[in-house]
Amino acid sequence: MSDFLFYVLATMLVLLSLMAVSLPNLLHGAVSLIGSFLVTAALYIMLQLEFVALAQVMLYIGGIIIFMLIIILLTTGLGEDDSLNRISLGQRFKRALIPMGLLVSLLLFIGKTPSPLLQSATHRAAPVTLDDIGFRLLSIDNGFIIAFEVISILLLVALVGAVVIARKDKDEGEEA
Amino acid sequence: MSLSHFITLSLILCAIGVYGILTRRNLIGILLSVEVILNGANINFAAFAHFKAADPTAGAIFPIFVMAVSACEMAVALAIIISMYRQKKRLDVYRLEELNG
Repeated sequence: MSDFLFYVLATMLVLLSLMAVSLPNLLHGAVSLIGSFLVTAALYIMLQLEFVALAQVMLYIGGIIIFMLIIILLTTGLGEDDSLNRISLGQRFKRALIPMGLLVSLLLFIGKTPSPLLQSATHRAAPVTLDDIGFRLLSIDNGFIIAFEVISILLLVALVGAVVIARKDKDEGEEA
Repeated sequence: MSLSHFITLSLILCAIGVYGILTRRNLIGILLSVEVILNGANINFAAFAHFKAADPTAGAIFPIFVMAVSACEMAVALAIIISMYRQKKRLDVYRLEELNG
């Protein structure tokens, strides 16, 4: 049952991601990316990582994709700007060869290499609880407190930098 | 459902993202493709945390950091795209040549 569910979810994820990168209208691409993130959250729940699934839905779907939709709607009229400068089908096929080669060679490598990491008996982890994650994030010894604080500073700097970059210059503002 | 299945899935997602980066000409389309690649990387972290179980809590924490950095990236990208659009009125990467060496 769990195998069947995984195959269904994986197929949906691959199809939605393909749609996200290849649909000519960017708005449709962003909406299918929302679908692919939801399917990814379902995969996390299958892996018993509920907190990651929660963060996926809140951060990616509620934050990042909304950002992206705002950019698309601000800059291209309903996402249709891209249709003028599409890449021809032959070029598209030629460029598809590069990721296909990457995929096939890496799959062959993983299949051929007798790695103990893949072969050893897989014992499933106990589900990670929210308490574990919270204590581990903020504990001093063997924890992630430094990375946590650095990330908070990075978020602040990125916000200030974004405001500075996007600010209108004074003379430019009077023209517009 | 084993570790190899999840590694294959994240490899496929990475290849799809690279394909998107190579074929899109719009700046925003390239950003969408980068998100697909990051999604595949996060799935890999989660799968190793679940199946290998050496330190599952660390495996659950790392995708959170990836998401936070990705949010920063999107904020700065939004600012760059808006200021570029204000100057150029187009986002075709073939025409954005200011940073040419």
